[in-house]
Amino acid sequence: MESEQTTRPGKTPLSLSGRRALVIVPAYNEAEAIGRTVRDLRRHAPWADVLVVNDGSADDTGEVARAAGAKVVNLPVNLGIGGAVQTGYRYAYGNDYDLVFQFDGDGQHRARRLQELARPILAGEADMIVGSRFLRPRGMTARGSRWAGIKILAAAVSLVTGMRITDPTSGFRGGGRRVIQLFAQMYPQDYPEPESLVLAHKQGFCVREVPATMRRRRGGVSSISPLKGVHYMAKVLLAVLMEALKAPVRPEEEPT
Amino acid sequence: MMNWPQRIVLLALALGMLGLTLELIRRRRLREEYAVLWVCTGIMILVFVVMPNILFAVAGWLQLDRTVLMTFVCFLFLAAIVLHYSVVISKHSEREKHLAQELALLRDELEKLRAETREAPPAPAEPKPRPPALRT
Repeated sequence: MESEQTTRPGKTPLSLSGRRALVIVPAYNEAEAIGRTVRDLRRHAPWADVLVVNDGSADDTGEVARAAGAKVVNLPVNLGIGGAVQTGYRYAYGNDYDLVFQFDGDGQHRARRLQELARPILAGEADMIVGSRFLRPRGMTARGSRWAGIKILAAAVSLVTGMRITDPTSGFRGGGRRVIQLFAQMYPQDYPEPESLVLAHKQGFCVREVPATMRRRRGGVSSISPLKGVHYMAKVLLAVLMEALKAPVRPEEEPT
Repeated sequence: MMNWPQRIVLLALALGMLGLTLELIRRRRLREEYAVLWVCTGIMILVFVVMPNILFAVAGWLQLDRTVLMTFVCFLFLAAIVLHYSVVISKHSEREKHLAQELALLRDELEKLRAETREAPPAPAEPKPRPPALRT
């Protein structure tokens, strides 16, 4: 029912000036939360199309998302978060979108805040925008060991890129045409959020953070359990450092 | 030095390995690009069996026991082969990912096209029967 309302022009506070925006929502067994997330996006960010990338879910994530008014792409096998998000970028590349946003399916991101990510990109001030939980001292912040882990990662990413990054694991982010083309061609697989920042930096992209508050998750479980935290940290740190050593991607190549 | 029975056994092993590799390629069970290192290994063993003095000279030059050097050379070859496999696996998982993504995006396109054609009659003539799938 909200899908009709969203196609009505003139009600958006954000001026896209003819450019098309897509929100990528990677979802794996998120049937519980995905419907609300999609309806949220349709209501609060009606200027953007919503693409749910169903990453080989065993439940009816795809059907729920489609019923809620999202475009749905169903992956035949589970590729993991990196592969699912890249599917969205490839969709955006193939369907000529100008702006792409990443948004978690579990409801921890706020659809209303998407325009704060969009504005700097539309104004040409940045190629990529990341919503950071740590730029403003309110809203949900991570606690204890997770906080420490994010701080260490932030320090590592800042060190190898020379950019000031406070929330490298944030999946609440957006990018323009150059970012779409790069990520359609090459996107990290295992720990994509911190690694992709390094990748974008290596291409000479301007990456900026804006403050963002996040909610607690509505359903499902975090992909990172506290027990696995240390193991995760070590692997992500290694991946980030390796990414910094890799050769840059040649952007003239078409994504294959 | 190596005595004749040793040489004959090793020669048979080296030839057997080369023969097996080539036979697998011939039967299309093994692709050439993955067999290169195996063929190299077989040839190296053959060279060492026919001319063991090369290996002994190297051992003398490095002041290593011959057995240690042999073990080390074996290890190097196996390590090279395993590393080669890791590279191949990485390449294949990247391809597999892209195939899955492409399949999902094509299925999406297909659904869009179907929805369009459903709205726009008449349907084209009966589609030709598909040729049988190629055996790979």
